[in-house]
Amino acid sequence: MEQALVAEAKDAPRAADLAFDRLYRSSRDDVYAYVASLLRDATAAEEVTAAAFERAYRKRNRFDPERGEPRAWLFGIARNAALDELRRRGRQAELTAEPADLESFAPSEGAEHNERRLAVSAALESLEPRERELIALKFFAGLENREIARVLGISESNAGTKLHRAMTKLREACDGNA
Amino acid sequence: METPRDEQLAADLRALRPAPRPEFTAELDERAAAGFPRRSHWPQLSWRLPSLRVLIPAGGVAVIAIAFVTALSVSNDSGSSSESSGVLNMTPPADSSSEPEHAAEAPPAPSAASAGAAEVEAQPFSREVKPGIHKRAVERSAELVLGAAPADVADDSAEVFEAVHAHDGIVMRSSTREGEPGVAGARFELLIPSAKLGDALAALSAIDEVRSRHEATDDITAPTVQTGELLQDSKARIDSLLAQLEAAETESEREAVEAELAAERRHRAALRAQLQHLERRADYSRVLVRIETGASEDSSGGGAWGVDDALGDAGHILAIAAAVAVVALAILGPISLVALLAWLTHRAWVRRERRRVLS
Repeated sequence: MEQALVAEAKDAPRAADLAFDRLYRSSRDDVYAYVASLLRDATAAEEVTAAAFERAYRKRNRFDPERGEPRAWLFGIARNAALDELRRRGRQAELTAEPADLESFAPSEGAEHNERRLAVSAALESLEPRERELIALKFFAGLENREIARVLGISESNAGTKLHRAMTKLREACDGNA
Repeated sequence: METPRDEQLAADLRALRPAPRPEFTAELDERAAAGFPRRSHWPQLSWRLPSLRVLIPAGGVAVIAIAFVTALSVSNDSGSSSESSGVLNMTPPADSSSEPEHAAEAPPAPSAASAGAAEVEAQPFSREVKPGIHKRAVERSAELVLGAAPADVADDSAEVFEAVHAHDGIVMRSSTREGEPGVAGARFELLIPSAKLGDALAALSAIDEVRSRHEATDDITAPTVQTGELLQDSKARIDSLLAQLEAAETESEREAVEAELAAERRHRAALRAQLQHLERRADYSRVLVRIETGASEDSSGGGAWGVDDALGDAGHILAIAAAVAVVALAILGPISLVALLAWLTHRAWVRRERRRVLS
């Protein structure tokens, strides 16, 4: 019995590490995508992504499951790190983005697909930074509305409303580009 | 081109999702496997401040330790001061109304002056009083209470006499009583040369347990100087009258001057006696020694250190520790408050800046 308790105690931190490892594996690319969309600088995005994971790892024992999902907590940390980076560099989110790489689009999907995605990319650039962040959280990071609300510190309904407006604006921008 | 529908738009957005470089993900995976080792720009400064969970208890322990050490220190100081207060505790200056009694008890002066007139003029004062240059005249007195067993009262009394004589002192009055503890005891009224008072008190204190010791001083420089000046004036007046007496031509004139001279000589004799009395008060210190038996009135002043004393000391130390802790909190409180306000302000500013950066 005592040995089992000791083993359990020894396993406790390991379980937390394993949970964090699972979170890392499932969120690594999502966090990078979100941060890159905020910073619009691949090199800075890599730095900030690494810093965000490092910060989250240090704070992993302070995570309170009752205050939200782990992914929302992780993206909150990543958001703060990205905004701090923007502040530090004196940049603004509306700075010129890295141009979309046409070659990155799969040739097999056809010219029409590529052209449409370029139009979406251009429409995305025309959005306000906050709207672009909402879309990045939803479609780049794959967060649910409640998780987005948690990251941004707003209500879930408010997050849904804002996301709907952003999508409407994006659609209109796509129409305009078309 | 048709306007993309929602599903199509979502698919296109997901296709636009920035993807990390494989080299970056591989490097990040390695760091994740290693537990995200800290990447410091200054490897030699890899240390950092401990977390609040460590700092707060450490700070509390530090405050308690400082309070405890200070309390011990203050307690020790207090102990020694209470001990020394028994030695140096000054009572209010002696009442000058006791002067006649003092004079009556005064020992025979070395220059026992007669009230005769002619001799007085020839005798120098034992202490020269020069106008403008005055040595301070201080009357000192002391009271010493010794605790003794009833069987030791006689021996202690004998030692008191020895100590007094060894220091050229005078026993003005003494009395001893035998009997039960609390009844037996002795009382000595002494005159000790002021120059030897310290040594005499030390010798007397060594006789038995000292229960209390008080010393007092009274500056009598002013009346001494004033009396000396009056004496000088009187001498000059007598010289003048003597000159008048030599110059007197008629009997009636001579009788009148002699009468005046006699009155002035009486006046001068009185002044001289007064001056000698003042000088004796400065030269000799009055010391009252009492030998008591039975329990001390102040139980904390003597006897073996017991549980009551321990409890008293513990309470004293705790009270001082609490006082020091209050003082420490009074100092640390505002500092902590300022630090908290600064931290909250900084945090609010950071949040505002983060909001502003996407505006």
